Amino acid sequence: MDITQPVLPDHRFSELMQSAQAGDTDAYIQLLEKVTPRIRQIVRRHRTFLHPEDIEDLVQDILLSLHAVRATYDPGRPFMPWLLAIARNRLVDGARRYARGAAHEVCVENLAVTFADERANTVMNGLGDLPALEQAIGALPPIQRDAIRMLKLGEMSLKEAADAANTTVGALKVATHRAMASLRKMLVKKQ
Amino acid sequence: MNRETQQVILQLAQNARPVRPLRRPYVRAAVWVVISMIFVAGMVLIIPADHDLLRQFAERSFVIEQFAALATGIAAGLAAFVTVIPGGDRRWALLPLLPISLWLGSLAPSCFREFTRMGTQVFLVPHSLWCLPSIVLLGTVPALAMVVMLRRGAPLTPHLTAALGGLAAAGIGNIGVRFIHPEDVSVMLMVWHVGGVMLLCAFAGSAGRHFLNWRSIIGASENIAR
Repeated sequence: MDITQPVLPDHRFSELMQSAQAGDTDAYIQLLEKVTPRIRQIVRRHRTFLHPEDIEDLVQDILLSLHAVRATYDPGRPFMPWLLAIARNRLVDGARRYARGAAHEVCVENLAVTFADERANTVMNGLGDLPALEQAIGALPPIQRDAIRMLKLGEMSLKEAADAANTTVGALKVATHRAMASLRKMLVKKQ
Repeated sequence: MNRETQQVILQLAQNARPVRPLRRPYVRAAVWVVISMIFVAGMVLIIPADHDLLRQFAERSFVIEQFAALATGIAAGLAAFVTVIPGGDRRWALLPLLPISLWLGSLAPSCFREFTRMGTQVFLVPHSLWCLPSIVLLGTVPALAMVVMLRRGAPLTPHLTAALGGLAAAGIGNIGVRFIHPEDVSVMLMVWHVGGVMLLCAFAGSAGRHFLNWRSIIGASENIAR
């Protein structure tokens, strides 16, 4: 299938985007739902070696980018070339980021997770209900869930997590704060 | 549809505020030129000129040189605004080459004459060291206006876009500097003024990714939505 041939005619995408620019939420949801399979197809075609979850991350990156620069769409011009230009640019950007990350990565096997001393391992007894915590984390909105996974579970620094999530340190802090408050509420309810 | 992606879509749509589509690049370039020229004209009026302006205007070479610098600024500004529109034709980035050629061409014959007459001694002619800082000073507001306007677009080619923006701002700043500083030696004009503008263009281009990147633009749009 030709990726430049959309499911809807181009003028229909233009109309939806025009409505989205005017603040029509339904039109915007419809537009994003229609373009997402197309974006996924483009990502798959260009990044055949990626895992499905990495492909989905890139698709979401492109959706965020489309959203951030939606004012650059000129309703008088075709929609698909505009979308494809963003998608291709984000793919190149992603590849550059990946290469930069890989260049600084150090592979370590069997990294020690704690100290050997017995006294250092006593805290392991009080972790609480792990399945409930996992479930509560899974119920968070994606941005908050990613923030918790990267900062609290993955122990990444704010800067590293912001780079990985392609967001700002401030936005990540807000997401973490909200996530912790939601988790607290959800876990207290379950007890 | 993947559940996470569906959630992203819903979150984006629910937080989306109405946006006004950006005006066409030539309209944005015109707005930027007006803002920049008002600032440069104001600075030229505030800073006293240490030479006869009327005499300068009577010189054809000066008028051609200033016209070429202005055309370079406008063309580079227009090209910069085109590069932040997804799907825009990248060939617009070549547009400033035409006025730059005119600018260099307006100085080249007299440079050649001075060089054949004076040899390398021409580089020892006394010259005001303030011209490069002056170009920076007069280019400040044009550069800031350019950054603010470019950040409303898509950072598709950050280095190229920033280089074009820097060329535009420095080109317009240079017009004002030529009104303030006397400079009769074409070689010095070529080295300090044209060279200075190109240096600032290269500097802006190398720093492009610092202020034109997806991370900050997505972050800014999330902050607005919040």
